[in-house]
Amino acid sequence: MKQKIKLKVNGAPCEVFVEPWKTLLDVLRDEIGFTGVKSGCEEGECGACTVLVDGKAVNSCLMLAPQAQGKEIITIEGVEGEEGLHPLQQAFVEHFAVQCGFCTPGMILSAKALLDKNPHPTEEEVRVALCGNLCRCTGYVKIVEAVLAVSKKGD
Amino acid sequence: MNTAGLGSQWRHPKFEYLEARTVEEACSLLSQYKDKAKLIAGGTDLLVSMRRGKITPLYVINVKTIPNLDYIHYDGDGLRIGALATLSEIESSPLIRDRFPIIADSAHQIGTPQVRNVGTIGGNLCNAAPSADMAPPLIGLGAKAKLKGPKGERAVALEEFFTGPGEPRLQIGEMLIEIQASNPPPHTQGIYLKLPARTAIDLAVVGVAAVVTLDTKGANIVDTKIVLGAVAPTPIRARQAENVIRGKTINDGLIEEAAQIAAEEAKPISDVRGSASYRKEMVKVLTKGAIRQAIASA
Repeated sequence: MKQKIKLKVNGAPCEVFVEPWKTLLDVLRDEIGFTGVKSGCEEGECGACTVLVDGKAVNSCLMLAPQAQGKEIITIEGVEGEEGLHPLQQAFVEHFAVQCGFCTPGMILSAKALLDKNPHPTEEEVRVALCGNLCRCTGYVKIVEAVLAVSKKGD
Repeated sequence: MNTAGLGSQWRHPKFEYLEARTVEEACSLLSQYKDKAKLIAGGTDLLVSMRRGKITPLYVINVKTIPNLDYIHYDGDGLRIGALATLSEIESSPLIRDRFPIIADSAHQIGTPQVRNVGTIGGNLCNAAPSADMAPPLIGLGAKAKLKGPKGERAVALEEFFTGPGEPRLQIGEMLIEIQASNPPPHTQGIYLKLPARTAIDLAVVGVAAVVTLDTKGANIVDTKIVLGAVAPTPIRARQAENVIRGKTINDGLIEEAAQIAAEEAKPISDVRGSASYRKEMVKVLTKGAIRQAIASA
C-alpha cells in the first residue's frame, strides 16, 4: 500500500516510498532526515511542526504525505544561506529569542513566511503571523522583538 | 507515525487513499464507498478527529487534487466562492474584504495562519461544527450552498444546510462545490463577533453575526439577520431577536431587548469551554455589540 511521492525539500528533489497515512512531518523527519522539524501536539495547535509549503506556513503534522506530491518544502535546515545564518536566525540569537529551542524552527519559518510577503510588518501583524506557534519558555516578547528587528533593517 | 509527544489516546489511523481529479470522480467515489469514505481537503479537522478515534473512514478521498474549485468570483449578482478556496485566500481577498468584509473577518478568526493556509471554506462548513465560524456570517448574508451529486446539482440555503452537530445536509455521493452570496441591499453591513476574542486557535465558545440594512437616512433598520453559533446543535437564526429591531428606528433600548431575546433563543450546552449560563450571557453581550457595530458601519 506504500506509494511513491516526489517532492522538493530545501531545494533538492526527493523521492520517498511511504504509506498514505504518513504525514509530511513523518516524511521529513523519518524518511529524509530533517529532524529540525519538531513533533509537538500532532493536532495542528502548537506549530512546532511548521514548514513552508510553496511559501506558505503549514502544520506538517496535518498534511498527508501524498498531499505533498510536487510541492516545494522549506524546513529550518533550508533557511540558512550560503553566506551564513539567515537574518531571522541571527536576530533570534542576538535578541535572546531562543531558550530551549523547540519552538524555534517553527517560529522562524512562520516569521520568514510573513517577511517574504510583508517585509515591514507592524507588531500586531507579527503577533498574528506567529499566533500558531506556541512557546513555553520565552513569553514571546524577545521573539517578536527579533522579527521586528529584521523588518526594520530594511532590504 | 511519529509518536514523540503523543498521548496514549491517539489512534494511528490506516486507510486506503484515493484522489479525485474532478468533482464527478469525487461524487462517484462517495457513492461507491458511502459512509466508509471521507473527503479530505486541508485535513485540519478530519485528521484530528481520526486521531481521536471519532471518525474511522476506510477510504480517504483527497479533493485538493480537483483543479479550479478554489475560485473567488464576483459579478452583478454577487459573490461565488469555490468550496476549495482556503481561509487564507478568503481573508486576504481584496474583493471579499471590500464588498463582503464580514466574510473575510470570520475567515481570519479561524485557527491559525498555518490552519488557514490549507483549511477550506467547504471543509469548515461540511465539518458542520455548531461553532463553525464561516456559518453565521454567511447565513446572515442569506448565502446558498451549491451541491453536486450523482443526480446533478442543487442549491440549498445555508441556513438549512446543518441538521445537527457534524451533520451537513449532504446526500450520499454529494459534495459541496460552491458558496453563493448575493449582493446585499445598499446600506447593509454585517459584523461577526467571536468569543474568545483575538485569541488564536480556539473554537468559538459563542459566535454572533449581525447583518443590518438601514434606510437611506440611516435612522431605521429596514432588515436584519442575527445568527448565533456554538450555542445550539447547529448555527441558528435568532428570529425573535430580529423581529424586535426589524422595521424600527434605531434605539438602544430595542437593541438591548433584542440581545436579551437572542440569549433566550440560544440553547447552549455546558462543556469544557464554558457553561450554558455563561454562553447565554455572552450571547447577550455579543449580540448587543454586533448590532451596534453593524449599524455604525452601515
